[in-house]
Amino acid sequence: MWGEVGGALVLLLLLSEVLDCIGISPPGKPVLINCRSPEKETFTCRWDPGFDGGLPTTHHLYYQKEDSDGMYECPDYQAAGSNSCFFNKSHTSIWVNYNITVVAINSLGSTVSDPLEVDVMYIVQPNAPENVTVSVVETEESPHLLVKWEPPHEADTRSGWITLTYQLRVKRQNKKEGEWEEYASGKQTQLIIYSLHPGDVYMVQLRCKLDHSLWSEWSTTTHTEVPDYILKERSIWIVITVFSAFILLLVTFTLAMKRKYVKHCLLPPVPGPKISGLDTQLLKSGRSEDILSSLINQGFPPTIATKDQQVDYLLVFDSEQVTPDLQNGQTRTKNIDHGRYDHSLLMEANNKEVKVGGRETVEQGYSEGLESTFWKTKSLSHPCPQKKPFNNVTEMPKQAPVSSKYRSLSHHKDLLDSLARHLDYRETVVKSQSNCDDKHLSSQNIVTPLKAIGYVEVQRWKKSIGLQVLVPKMDKSQEDYSTVSVVENENVVLLKRETVPLNCTSCKLRGNQSEKCLQQKPCKPHMTVPAKEGVYIGSNGYVEPVTISHTL
Amino acid sequence: MARRSQGTKLHLAVLCLVVSCHAIGLSDLMERASQRSDKLHSLSTSLNKDLDSHFPPMGRVMMPRPSMCHTSSLQTPKDKEQALRVSENELISLARSLLLAWNDPLLLLSSEAPTLPHPSNGDISSKIRELQDYSKSLGDGLDILVNKVVQQLNTLCKMGPSSQYISSIPFKGGDLGNDKTSRLINFHFLMSCFRRDSHKIDSFLKVLRCRATKMRPETC
Repeated sequence: MWGEVGGALVLLLLLSEVLDCIGISPPGKPVLINCRSPEKETFTCRWDPGFDGGLPTTHHLYYQKEDSDGMYECPDYQAAGSNSCFFNKSHTSIWVNYNITVVAINSLGSTVSDPLEVDVMYIVQPNAPENVTVSVVETEESPHLLVKWEPPHEADTRSGWITLTYQLRVKRQNKKEGEWEEYASGKQTQLIIYSLHPGDVYMVQLRCKLDHSLWSEWSTTTHTEVPDYILKERSIWIVITVFSAFILLLVTFTLAMKRKYVKHCLLPPVPGPKISGLDTQLLKSGRSEDILSSLINQGFPPTIATKDQQVDYLLVFDSEQVTPDLQNGQTRTKNIDHGRYDHSLLMEANNKEVKVGGRETVEQGYSEGLESTFWKTKSLSHPCPQKKPFNNVTEMPKQAPVSSKYRSLSHHKDLLDSLARHLDYRETVVKSQSNCDDKHLSSQNIVTPLKAIGYVEVQRWKKSIGLQVLVPKMDKSQEDYSTVSVVENENVVLLKRETVPLNCTSCKLRGNQSEKCLQQKPCKPHMTVPAKEGVYIGSNGYVEPVTISHTL
Repeated sequence: MARRSQGTKLHLAVLCLVVSCHAIGLSDLMERASQRSDKLHSLSTSLNKDLDSHFPPMGRVMMPRPSMCHTSSLQTPKDKEQALRVSENELISLARSLLLAWNDPLLLLSSEAPTLPHPSNGDISSKIRELQDYSKSLGDGLDILVNKVVQQLNTLCKMGPSSQYISSIPFKGGDLGNDKTSRLINFHFLMSCFRRDSHKIDSFLKVLRCRATKMRPETC
């Protein structure tokens, strides 16, 4: 007996050795890879068959459910391909553990795989979404990608048994080593992607998940090209920018060329005061001599062209201010046009008549500007002169050839008043001192700032009998002074105007003195008795000559 | 009597209409409930993963079978056809019953978690506390829904007997074990049972949510 058992064993060993040498053996151990349920209603298990042992091997799957006894075999081996087992809806239970094993059988033996515990709730993994469409939507503002898809066809989304959530990822093809950008889509089956790069190709992939299941595989890539139209927009903007820059350059250039005109337009020059006869530039230069000359110059007083239209200066002098020069009989006159004139001081001291003196004052008056042409002179206080009958005009001619040619103006208080008024003196003081009985003007200073006139200067008059007014003539050749013949009325003083040849004496007086005239050498017969001329103070303030025909 | 019964029927019909008009409110409630159940299941899944990372080698063998879960006595639908055939009030009652069954075990787990022989028992402990909060919140919501669904639909419209579908499932396991391994294994086992039950609750509520929003099928 022991011999038979030993012999059988030896035979088996020999057989296995022989079989090994030939190359056949029982099948290797199959390995269950996994089980998957795509829609939570069915599931499929796959295994790896392993080494078949050189012989035709069959595999069988057996499962056991936790809530029921018995071993069941796989209901469908073909539906899911080879080495798979498909559990249809009727064979699938959820929340139930399956114990699955695979057995490999060949002619030499069988091999059982390791068991696999499966609960359908853990093995759910859907398929990828289907029908992925990507389209470029071109709007006015910016283009965007519209991605649409559908759930996997086997998933039931209507009953609520499963709830699909999706995930999308995008990548630019041109950008090498770029990363996928992931977007969660929730339960929606479409998504919009903004901020595209024009001219680029975009790759889109999708995947989905069933509730708490595993993520599906990524869907196949969809390629989409975004057109280049954004660059066209930019080119339009570039053209507009260049054009406007060009126009701006033109405008700037034109403005630069017409600088002065623009400046004149925007900042118009301030008009200066329009005073005829005044040069502002000269004033700015500040040289006093030129200023004075310019002030008096330039046709001021206006319209003096001929002798007949000459406006004579009236100078009023103070008798006690006689300068030594004048007492010597020197007269200094100058042309009015030069803007200066000397005060020819007249007078004899014995007449005690008012003289006008002081070049300084005149200069002072002028140098101070237009508005105040005359200023106060130093006030000289003089006692009331002795009474002297004024109308001693006859005495005048005696003096005339001796000293100078001048005119003497009969003093008349009213005349002076009107003179003052009309000449628009700033301060006109006409006072009569009480202690002077002759009712003549007191010694006061008169300020005569006059706008236009610089010729009549009544610097001071005192209560004297008369005033002697010096009027320097414009024309040197005619340095003669007229004497007053009569005071016609308040405003008019008649002067006799004549040319006095050296060799004859004029007969200008009326009355008694005509006899004296006749005794002297007669003048030339062609010399006519000049018409009497008068001086009156016109309404404009000027002292104007008046020609009055008068009979002697 | 006939008139009165007719009047009552008319009154009930009007009430049914009024109740159906409240379907919008119901869908909102369902949406919130399903969101909470989803969060509940996510938490339990992460807890199980934490526990799986540090599991004793022989633990798989020693672990009790899932049929040993204390809630396995509750008959629930096993596949999609069965689940779709169940009425709304039954479904919601099932969900409420399952949740109620886990109040006591969660208390036990939260008390055992700090002393669990696991490297990340702190995380586990905080997650269990979070589970309790969500469970409580979901339970309150389900109570409202149960009252709404069961009473209004069942009692008023159908005039059927108001049956209480909520069953109580006692939890008998008072202790996890004495030694470290058995404690860990039992903890893990309980968590796997809870994971399955939370998945059930989530599935039922999502089915109910889809039914409540018949006007908007895209929410399913």
